[in-house]
Amino acid sequence: LTIATFQIVLAVLFVGLVSGFVMHRADFCIAGAFRDLFLFRKTFMLRMVLLLVALSMLLFDAARRTGLLPFYPFPLPGAISPANLVGGLMFGIGMVLAGGCVVGTLYRAGSGNFPAMASVAGLVAGSGLYAEIQPAWSSFHKSTMLFPGMSTLPQLTGLDPTWFVAALTIPAGFLIFRWAREGSLHRETAVEGFIQPWVVAIVLAFLGLASWLATGMPMGITTSYAKAAAWIESCVMPGHFDGLAYFKAAPLDVVLPNGYRLIGGPGAALDGIAVIQFPLIGGILAGSFISAVSLREFRIRFRVPPIQIASGLAGGVVMGLASRMAPGCNVWHVMGGLPIFSVPSILFVLGLFPGAWIGSGLLKRLV
Amino acid sequence: MNTSAFPDQVVTLDIIGQICPASLLITLRKINEIKDAIHQGDLRLDVLTDNRDAVGTISEAVANMGYVLSTEKREGLYVLSISAVR
Repeated sequence: LTIATFQIVLAVLFVGLVSGFVMHRADFCIAGAFRDLFLFRKTFMLRMVLLLVALSMLLFDAARRTGLLPFYPFPLPGAISPANLVGGLMFGIGMVLAGGCVVGTLYRAGSGNFPAMASVAGLVAGSGLYAEIQPAWSSFHKSTMLFPGMSTLPQLTGLDPTWFVAALTIPAGFLIFRWAREGSLHRETAVEGFIQPWVVAIVLAFLGLASWLATGMPMGITTSYAKAAAWIESCVMPGHFDGLAYFKAAPLDVVLPNGYRLIGGPGAALDGIAVIQFPLIGGILAGSFISAVSLREFRIRFRVPPIQIASGLAGGVVMGLASRMAPGCNVWHVMGGLPIFSVPSILFVLGLFPGAWIGSGLLKRLV
Repeated sequence: MNTSAFPDQVVTLDIIGQICPASLLITLRKINEIKDAIHQGDLRLDVLTDNRDAVGTISEAVANMGYVLSTEKREGLYVLSISAVR
């Protein structure tokens, strides 16, 4: 373990701890933001997501212009393909069934919620399932790829990213200003230790920037679930595991400003992906655990309606599969790709809406 | 709010550990089931939950339906008492 590795682990752990703590306090549910639009015609949390994306956009561009960002865009922004849209749609269904997205299930699991733990297990299973369909899906992805080598709108148009930032800051700023004035960014609740979601949106935007500065990338989680699946499969069925090409790839190879060479992929090895993602996952779990315990709200209740556990598990499987197919989860695309106008992220988020709509319809029948 | 002003007869709904938005949907279904008794002032519904989001969403929904609500935290759990206006 070198000093450079240690620095990264500490920074990411800090980002995870703070995220887990504040997200638990506010119950900052990104899945709920999309779901409640269809289920209850409520847009409160979507306003928070817009605030998060708009502020990230400003912060990322300010950091880029001042030369703070080690890479721009970040490594592996993904290729533009209808696969992004399909992934987003499936992910939308999964997150509504699971009752939380990739971080939502983590901070709930950290506070003791059993269906959320089932979702985390489902995410691992779904990521493992992807390895089975990867050869076929990958060839679909490649054959439908548009504008190879380009991912963002600034790259496609040749315009400086600041033009896009300026054009979007004006309407977003106007909306946020209006909401702030009419008080619709504020939530009234009787829960103890509540942190207003708009505060959490601002904190998360800064943490997203911290992640980019420390790891060269926005926050990512789901490749680790593929890693966990790879590790389990290599132990349980080594023969089958050896035949899966997906787990052999290591698409990431970059050098970070502190000299750390970040190499990694979805395989079972403790590589660079483990260095930048494991502390984030551990941090979110620990952060929400600390928050829940300090409020005396930590509680594991196994006796919940089985249909909710099944829904959590199934939602996790679908999310795990979708986040490999897209590729990338909602945290990566909403908090990372969208603010830099990455087209795969725009397509993924466009897919989330119909996905959440389908998921809401399914959920109403289930519970 | 003084809880003693509430009806003595209590129906308790335990939704501890349940996911979103099942907590809200199940509560609304339960209210619908016993709404006549609540309206007559014979009954109050106590919802036990540990879902922080549900405390907000259930409160908002029952307030919009015109019920009286009091929230109390007991042993790390939130107890939402729902009754009719008197």
